[in-house]
Amino acid sequence: MASPDSLPPEIELAQLLQRCAARDSAAFRTLYDKTSGILFARLLRMLRRRSVAEEALQDVYVRIWQRAAQFEAHRGRPLAWMVTIARYCAIDLMRRERMTLVSDDSLAEMADESAGEAMAFEKPNNFDDCIGRLNDKTRECLTLAFVEGRSHDEIARITTNPLGSVKSWIRRGLQSLKECLSAEGRAT
Amino acid sequence: MKSANRELLDRLAAEYVLGTLRHRARRRFERWLLSPQVGALVKAWEDRLMALEPRLGAVTPPASVWRGIESRLELNKTRRAATVRWMAIAASLLLVGIVGVFVMRDRPAVEAPALAVTKKAFIQENPQTIYWRVELRGDNQELSVHVHVAHELGAGKALELWALPEGGDPVSLGVLPTAGDRHTVLSAAQRAALAGSKQIAVSLEPSGGSPSGLPTGPVLHVAPLAPA
Repeated sequence: MASPDSLPPEIELAQLLQRCAARDSAAFRTLYDKTSGILFARLLRMLRRRSVAEEALQDVYVRIWQRAAQFEAHRGRPLAWMVTIARYCAIDLMRRERMTLVSDDSLAEMADESAGEAMAFEKPNNFDDCIGRLNDKTRECLTLAFVEGRSHDEIARITTNPLGSVKSWIRRGLQSLKECLSAEGRAT
Repeated sequence: MKSANRELLDRLAAEYVLGTLRHRARRRFERWLLSPQVGALVKAWEDRLMALEPRLGAVTPPASVWRGIESRLELNKTRRAATVRWMAIAASLLLVGIVGVFVMRDRPAVEAPALAVTKKAFIQENPQTIYWRVELRGDNQELSVHVHVAHELGAGKALELWALPEGGDPVSLGVLPTAGDRHTVLSAAQRAALAGSKQIAVSLEPSGGSPSGLPTGPVLHVAPLAPA
């Protein structure tokens, strides 16, 4: 199982994915052992319910095995690739399960279970600056959507804001983020 | 792509990656992902938003998850199938590797076998359906083939018998008879091949046997060659 104190180097994960693409089931097992803890934590964060997150985790690894050949090694970031698959799986499952929000108690419970070194993704140099420029409400909406997997309706309910405002903050927030990040990209 | 369309697609790509594009709109957008332009927009947003990923500690999932994945992907079966497939490929390569062929019909038939049977094999579908009994006499000097049950055979087809020497190329033992018995004196090459064979095989060939000396059809049967 994933050992929190030995997060795998990305190059090793990329190699494992390439072996999975060649239908090496032993490599797939190793990949699962090294990454399932991280992806399970991510799914729990979005799906809240353990049983649903376990089902989603199965879907995620089935997709990883089936799509391993689509992983572009030259693009790197194998963990980001897998986390993206996990997020999309969770969104699909939410739709199927017509999931509703659960109480904050279960979230607190999960936080207790989470331990050890956290995964960290490479950020563009100016990301913190660009996200910092967004107003608090926009930042909250984007985080609820991306991190928690909340829909427009749910975000409106959680933040007690009108649905129209939420949609508009998100749309404008994404646009500002893109402009800010690309402006920095041109500057460097 | 028109700039207005591109702008709309970029907005949809952003909300797809963010996760707020839902239900039918999400399904519809997923169909466009095959387009390289849309794929590129999505990838760009995935790269931009990945920095929003929270720092989470790992949570070990229960062992039942892996068992579920293994069973859904039939990984155990895949491993077994891969082994069988590999063995089949290896066997085919051996067969394809054959250079010389000695066709039974070209050899003089022996009227009456004079030597004692030393090895035998049954080419069969199952214990109830034996197609041929194959016997080797003396020191692999003579071959006797007895038809038990006529093998189904399409028009213009023949079945060819092969020795499968371990670590060497298979060697043709000739086309199998469809009725009666056949006795053949074997060549030195056939005797040498049989001396190193624990198994014999039957392949489907055009009428008259493989024209090239190489097996051209599938291997229908493999039978162990046992001491008589």
